[in-house]
Amino acid sequence: MARTDFGPPDYQELIPPIIKENYGNWKYHTVPRPGVLRHVSYSGAVLHSVRVASPRLVSSDWVRDICNIAEKYCDGYLRFTTRNNVEFLVADESKLQPLLTELDDKDFLIGGVGVSISNIVHTQGWIHCKSAVTDASGLTKSIMDQMTDYFTGKVKVPARLRIAVACCVNMCGACHCSDISIVGIHRTIPRVNDEMASRVCEIPNTIAACPTGAIRPNPKVKSVIINPEKCMMCGNCTAVCPAIKIMDPVNDGVSIWVGGKVSNARTAPMFSRLAIPFIPNEPPRWTTVTEAVRNLVDVWRTNAREGERMGEWINRIGWERFFKLADIPFTDKHLDDFTYAKTTFRSTTQFKF
Amino acid sequence: MSNVQIKGAAVELDEDGFLVDPANWSEDVVAFFATQEEVGELTENHWKVIHYLRDYFQKFGVAPMIRKLCKDTGFTLKEIYEMFPSGPAKGACKLAGLPKPTGCV
Repeated sequence: MARTDFGPPDYQELIPPIIKENYGNWKYHTVPRPGVLRHVSYSGAVLHSVRVASPRLVSSDWVRDICNIAEKYCDGYLRFTTRNNVEFLVADESKLQPLLTELDDKDFLIGGVGVSISNIVHTQGWIHCKSAVTDASGLTKSIMDQMTDYFTGKVKVPARLRIAVACCVNMCGACHCSDISIVGIHRTIPRVNDEMASRVCEIPNTIAACPTGAIRPNPKVKSVIINPEKCMMCGNCTAVCPAIKIMDPVNDGVSIWVGGKVSNARTAPMFSRLAIPFIPNEPPRWTTVTEAVRNLVDVWRTNAREGERMGEWINRIGWERFFKLADIPFTDKHLDDFTYAKTTFRSTTQFKF
Repeated sequence: MSNVQIKGAAVELDEDGFLVDPANWSEDVVAFFATQEEVGELTENHWKVIHYLRDYFQKFGVAPMIRKLCKDTGFTLKEIYEMFPSGPAKGACKLAGLPKPTGCV
């Protein structure tokens, strides 16, 4: 039998000698230029990490290309970051400039470090997922084309700004806690294929999967009935029961959420909140979405204080001012009407006209 | 989707090899799936698990949780994997003719 359950390779065997020698013994780091970190250890050792953008979905040829670069300048060592950027780990300082020159020549984008707009955390989309309401890679490419100067540090921002894309409300990734999130949503009531449901679906599971209790059994045909009045088109039943279909190319699209963060710096972590309820899918460039994201970045960049993230800025000025400054209409869709809705309502007379 | 011949009868399977129509289930189908899922020879213990899964599904309309399966049949998860190498869902449930597991599997 094949060897199983032996886990990933021990990372200690895969890190550069300079990191092994100074493990847990770093003194400080600086950012000498956008995209480059300079780490200095107590023993005086210096390590440069050069961060470049990656599209996340890459070919094995692309991986071989970055391996060749790492072989040439980093003794064969590199790493991927948690936002799927690539970092070349340069132990020999004399090789730093030649590496940067080669990366520039090969059109790699150097950046995404510290106060900047780094890579977009995103998901499968139409490339691989059966419940994707929108595409992930296409949207990400369209948005990052607009954000290139923020990534490379050519345009300065007041604080970190995290953008994330999730192609359905399952939100694989970081959409519920990002400064700007693009989330795929449905607007059509799902259709039940009774004959198929009776054969391939576990009916009690399907009923239990509904967050609003909109699904009840239909024992006559061994299927379920969906109450359109109660359904909010989350699509959870379609994940559990393949006989329920919700896809609708015309009414499917994306929503944009703002103000989430995960770090504890200055303020506690925050969930993202709804800013724009719906924008239709417009492949291949998603012009309306990219325009809306650019507008949100601009309005935050020009109004926020130094070091103030999107959510912190909105909390300081209030959501009325945010909607006004961002020129986004406030609609009934913005009012929470789920389990803990009451806690999101205003229970004070303090607000701006 | 594909059609296979099992002891002379045409049986429709989906792309993962699960029964499209549970009415097609028979002991011959189990024997056919056993070769597909590398189960090998079907023992009394195999049949105990298969019949338990079918009874539970007929009674409650869902596949049992793994914990419930282990508790009621007396087999540990390790023993289940020894009997059905592809696991309780892809292996045992397929042999028992239950619907394909759904969700983020």
